[in-house]
Amino acid sequence: MKECKIIIMGFGSVGQGIAQSIALKKAMIKDKYGVELKVVAAADSSSSAINQDGLEEMLLIHSKNSEGKLSSYPDYGSEVSGLDVLDAVEYDLLMEATPTNIETAEPALSLTHKAFKQGKDVVTSNKGHLAIKFKEITKAAEDNGVEFKYEASVGGAMPIINFSRETLSSCGIKSIIGILNGTTNYILSRMTSEGSTYDITLKESQELGIAETDPTQDVEGIDAACKTVILANSLLGIDATYDDVEVNGISNITSHAINLADKDGYLIKLIAEVSPNTLKVSPRLVKKGSTYDVSGTLNMATIKTDLAGDVTVMGLGAGSLETASAMLTDVISILKDKY
Amino acid sequence: MRMNLVLELLDVPGQLVSVLEPISGLGANLVTVIHKRDSKNENGKIPVQLTLEGEQENLNRVIDRFNELGVDIIEKDGVINKEFISTILIGHIVDKDVRDTTDKINALDGIYVVGFDIKLDGEDKSTALINLEVAYGKKQFAFDEVKKIADEKDLLMINEV
Repeated sequence: MKECKIIIMGFGSVGQGIAQSIALKKAMIKDKYGVELKVVAAADSSSSAINQDGLEEMLLIHSKNSEGKLSSYPDYGSEVSGLDVLDAVEYDLLMEATPTNIETAEPALSLTHKAFKQGKDVVTSNKGHLAIKFKEITKAAEDNGVEFKYEASVGGAMPIINFSRETLSSCGIKSIIGILNGTTNYILSRMTSEGSTYDITLKESQELGIAETDPTQDVEGIDAACKTVILANSLLGIDATYDDVEVNGISNITSHAINLADKDGYLIKLIAEVSPNTLKVSPRLVKKGSTYDVSGTLNMATIKTDLAGDVTVMGLGAGSLETASAMLTDVISILKDKY
Repeated sequence: MRMNLVLELLDVPGQLVSVLEPISGLGANLVTVIHKRDSKNENGKIPVQLTLEGEQENLNRVIDRFNELGVDIIEKDGVINKEFISTILIGHIVDKDVRDTTDKINALDGIYVVGFDIKLDGEDKSTALINLEVAYGKKQFAFDEVKKIADEKDLLMINEV
């Protein structure tokens, strides 16, 4: 039986989702693809659990949640963290789910480069390094002859990157217009249905855990702008970085604006536009009942192609297992190619 | 019956033929064609003036066929085809001279304010929904020009997708 030894870096919501999804799907993967997935290390920001013979996925989650640190994992808990984890154990594939950092792109950038140099494949949900250094990092993967996949970085469970590249491979992509941030879509949807103000709705979203304590990345459009850059580079071949995107968030949207739009048959959505002439994230008016009329934390994107016309995809843009599902799909496609 | 149309075509070979070719097949006769190749509009398209003759039903079929082909009909029997667009402005709209804002928009070529709905919020920023009537094909021009006026007055503009 072939084996794929995995390191999970980052053990927050997405990291735990990875562990859970592996626990749920490893039997299916073994059965269908003839490869056994084995988590040999998992690391949070300051500690890890490492065992060459494999770790119990659900026990990792339990240890993290009961003690707050992976070092509490029975027998195999360790104080090794960061880049050192990649030297502490033999592995084949890095699943990288550390928090996005749009200024330095760390720790994702160093971890990814190190894994590439070690000749390992990488699957990521991180946006920081892709938004700032897309070219550098994809070239490094090529130079080292390894696989680098990042479906989960855009739209969570909504299929878009692999979908456009593989399912729509006969088509040229002219533009992509979509809702790429679930938090702001939730806030705007609630403001529309409840008639509430921005501040109150934001507070409610924070209480529900949909918006983060510091909501800046979401509400100011930074998160959607990172995804805009990733789509521009990966699907339209535009050599862009974060600074090339014109970004406006939703914090200035008044409930009056939502009411006036509503009266005229429109909704207000935070829309990302990716085309050779325009890289933009801004609040826009969309027709009620149109394909852009999706509410809650859903994401959607309309891909304008030369042969197939407009193709629209939709799915949950965030969430632990949902994001992990996209990463596991990336892992499976690597298994299919290389194992 | 006679019908006068002004179309806009891309400046690439074969465009004019592809538009003229279906006319006779649909039971209409071509009376005149004026192809103004020197007067490109801002989209780089060329206006073509057609006069057709035929039964009303057949002329309608020509119009349908043009629509199917995605040909822009900007004028029919002297009446300009119009589009309606909406935009929302947020900011100190009244303080920044709301009259001047609408005047400036109305002064733009082929663009008219046909609706204006404003909500005031005390000292806070106000919000206005503006409905615009725009000559066919001038949508992007309208958004770009109104954006300039909004930027001048530090107003946030929310446009249609």
